[in-house]
Amino acid sequence: MFEWLLNHPWTAFARGDIVFLSGWPVWLLAGAVVAMAAVLAASVLRERSARRVVLWSLQAAFVALLLLMLWRPAVSVSALKPHANLIAVLIDDSHSMSLRDDGRSRIDAARQFLAAPAIAGLSARYGVRLYRFSNSTERIENAAALQASGSATRIGDALDRIAADAAGVPIGAVVLLSDGGDSSGGVGRDTVSRLRLRRIPVHAVGFGRESEGRDVEIAGAAVPLRVLPGSRVEAEIALRSSGFKGASARLTVRDAGRVFASREVALTGAVQDETIDFSAGEAGAHTLEIAVAPLAGEGNTANNRVTRLLAVDSRRPRILYVEGEPRWEYKFLRRAVEGDAALRLVSILRTTENKIYRQGIGDPRELEAGFPSSPEELFRYDGLIIGSVDSGWFTESQQEAIRRFAAVRGGGVLFLGGRAALADGGYGRGPMAEMLPLELPGRHGTFHREPASAHLSAAGRESPVVRLIDDPARNAARWDALPVLADYQETGAPKPGATVLAEMSAAGRTMPLLAIENYGRGRTAILATSGTWRWQMRQDHRDQTHEAFWRQLLRWMVTGTPGQVTAATPRQVLSDETRLRLRAEVRDAAFRPAPDAHVEARILAPGGRESTVELAPKPDEPGVYTAEWNAAAAGSYIAEIIARRGDQELGRDAVTVLREDGVAENFHTAQNRELLESLAAGTGGRYYHPSEASKLASEIEYSEAGVTVRQTSDVWNVPAMLLLALITRSAEWLLRRRWGYV
Amino acid sequence: MRMRYSSVFGAAAAAVGLWGGLFAYQQVGFRVPTEYDNDGAPIPPDANATTEWAFARLKYASGGHRWYSARSWVVDYPKADRQFVQGVRRLTRIDTCSGERVIDLDTDEIFYWPWVYVVEPGQWRITGAQAARLREYMLRGGFMFFDDFHGTEEWQQFMLGIRRIFPDREVVDIPDSDEIFHVLYDLDNRVQVPGIQYWYSGRTWERDGIEPHWRGIYDDDGRLMMAIHHDMDLGDAWEWADSPRYPEPWASQAYRDGINSIIYAMTH
Repeated sequence: MFEWLLNHPWTAFARGDIVFLSGWPVWLLAGAVVAMAAVLAASVLRERSARRVVLWSLQAAFVALLLLMLWRPAVSVSALKPHANLIAVLIDDSHSMSLRDDGRSRIDAARQFLAAPAIAGLSARYGVRLYRFSNSTERIENAAALQASGSATRIGDALDRIAADAAGVPIGAVVLLSDGGDSSGGVGRDTVSRLRLRRIPVHAVGFGRESEGRDVEIAGAAVPLRVLPGSRVEAEIALRSSGFKGASARLTVRDAGRVFASREVALTGAVQDETIDFSAGEAGAHTLEIAVAPLAGEGNTANNRVTRLLAVDSRRPRILYVEGEPRWEYKFLRRAVEGDAALRLVSILRTTENKIYRQGIGDPRELEAGFPSSPEELFRYDGLIIGSVDSGWFTESQQEAIRRFAAVRGGGVLFLGGRAALADGGYGRGPMAEMLPLELPGRHGTFHREPASAHLSAAGRESPVVRLIDDPARNAARWDALPVLADYQETGAPKPGATVLAEMSAAGRTMPLLAIENYGRGRTAILATSGTWRWQMRQDHRDQTHEAFWRQLLRWMVTGTPGQVTAATPRQVLSDETRLRLRAEVRDAAFRPAPDAHVEARILAPGGRESTVELAPKPDEPGVYTAEWNAAAAGSYIAEIIARRGDQELGRDAVTVLREDGVAENFHTAQNRELLESLAAGTGGRYYHPSEASKLASEIEYSEAGVTVRQTSDVWNVPAMLLLALITRSAEWLLRRRWGYV
Repeated sequence: MRMRYSSVFGAAAAAVGLWGGLFAYQQVGFRVPTEYDNDGAPIPPDANATTEWAFARLKYASGGHRWYSARSWVVDYPKADRQFVQGVRRLTRIDTCSGERVIDLDTDEIFYWPWVYVVEPGQWRITGAQAARLREYMLRGGFMFFDDFHGTEEWQQFMLGIRRIFPDREVVDIPDSDEIFHVLYDLDNRVQVPGIQYWYSGRTWERDGIEPHWRGIYDDDGRLMMAIHHDMDLGDAWEWADSPRYPEPWASQAYRDGINSIIYAMTH
């Protein structure tokens, strides 16, 4: 319709400019319009009424239209020069194109699109190059070469190839035939920029149904990269469902066939976020299968499960506990952790004014002089617990080292309640004040040896840190049933970013009991009591509540504490991808970035093949080193990264990566129209439905890429102008008759 | 006739007196009440303050043929407790009150006090329910300090109770290397600490308990659950530490031994 009214497609106007071929200045047109409107107003608006204003408007519009036509408007647009340009047709040849929608596969629909007369006719005006792409991109002679068997879809790589080809041949436009199911995480900004630089429009033709039909899919799953043995692990799962709204589905986490956790979820018919938590197993690399059970009538069940790696650390983090006076909490905390193979508690206790008692030390000289006097000595620990110790017992440099222990070293620091702790210990002032997750009262006398009952906050009910029982509701009830605490300490409000996981009620008030927050690279927490030992002494000796609480809390403190070398990879599971990217952050003993290290990765590939890759320093991030490596075969890879400075080893760390094939194409099988539309819009192209072949064929010539000519066409004589003139005159005539103005 | 009645009454009175005297002698033994007695301990001003630790004395049922057997848990009470606490306060950083607490074994009160003192356990008579409570107490982490019983006969009575508490656990001599002898004070050179019967007898031992024994029972993780001070009397040493007649070295060792046990209980 648009094209019939204006004699040109919309693209011509969108890409072109409106010019006036009369050569008369545009301001004169505007002046003439205003003058004529004024003359008409003097004549028509002698009587002020709404009806006359309407009549005047119609007359003025008609006159303005006539004047506009006199000025000879035209559209000037850049168009491809016939027989001088190439049109690149990119055809998605991945496995997802073999899916059938409405009884026909997507690849067949693409073949049919190519065979449409309008598209086939393009070759009369342009050279047409066909490419197929999936994992890689290659030229093909005709559509018969399409197989729809590629294990991944890399639209970005295919477009990069076209952009590279455009340096040598005049590519006027790209036609992309795809379902948009890109498995490389989308088309990068660099790719779009390269195309824009060459002004190559990408016209996308979308294939496949735009909704999933009746399907449940694990759209995403995230588990921590590494945890300590026995830790509570929380898996965050994005579940996409359609056609099953209100139905119940069972989510399960398995490790080598053994069920770690399982629970029912109610499907919302859209994307929903679910969490499922479980206890990490023994040390080692665990390959977790996160799955939702197939439902009756579900079309695609291959997208019901994903694989994730969970590295359960074999290291045993060391936590330093400094206590200022003999207390029952000290004893029972130690007992709770002593049987934990994943944690090591080293403690110093001030038994008298001048004596300290050390427990859990590795050698007789450890902590011989008391609390570490240098950051290097303190930073050997992964976590720090500060009990009833007056803050003045620490020197100023020790206080600053404690602050940096969390902020820079990335350790976890827990402050306990006590008669010389928190506000009563002077922690509301000095360097340590800012690392506390709670405000502290500006007075003493906040510690009370009176009973307090503990219960979970709303945030605590969802947190694995305070999870004593798997089921959240039963867990909250378990907390409510705990014996009363022996004492409590008043604190203030939580600071921004802090989370109160547990509260306590005492003396008619409710106060924070356990608050946590991330501080710098580390974590801090306050447990505003020294009376959890009652949970041990007031319950059956077989009850493990007290032990579970402390082990969970201390694991939270130290699980994320980095070593001097921290290895990472953006994806632990490479689905139909071969590029293994490694990143290492290297620090010295004081945890300052070490930009002068020699860093290499020893990669153990499937089949026992070993390779060594050197990591290069990143110029803009001191102490960060990166490398890329080609993981050619499917299977598990272990990369151990070792950093040295001269002869001294600064540290080492390892990452595990799983490469799997034939998985990605089972996910997101509906057409990703959003991706195709944004890609087209970003490059100056358009999105087309397969039925719009002729429209595409007529619009494709308007491009600024390749070899172009400037086309200028009159628009004063288009049907739209005549129609507008007729409409304004007819409307005026009809209204005059109706209102009696003859 | 009168004379005869008088003679009869006199003879009877003499017999009763003689019997009573012999009975009293048997019961008291060499222990003679002196001008010092337990009733003289004043109640300190903060005796009832709520603190981290307090001297918790176990109140248990007892029996036997000694003069104090019927209420043996009160021996040295409360002066020994209060004087010992003064030492704990002065020599350590433990937050404690000056008064003692009496813990009735027939209640669950003991679970609030992870360290308890038991005097004269050679006289105790504990029921099955009480034994179960004490077993549970120690398995949860409680610590018992036994003191002031002597000789084979009292050991056997003590062990009757222990066998009810822990039928399968062995009572062993605590090795010198154990932390309980080093946690604050090094107590490698320990000697027998006598009660005040030493003033009269000149002996450091009582009955056939010539050699002192530091014994205990360990839990499955190698931690002492109890410290058994057999053939010594630390309670007397604490109680009479303020007397010039009681030798200072013994009093000092008694304090160090008691304090070590508390710190051990609060750290293990």
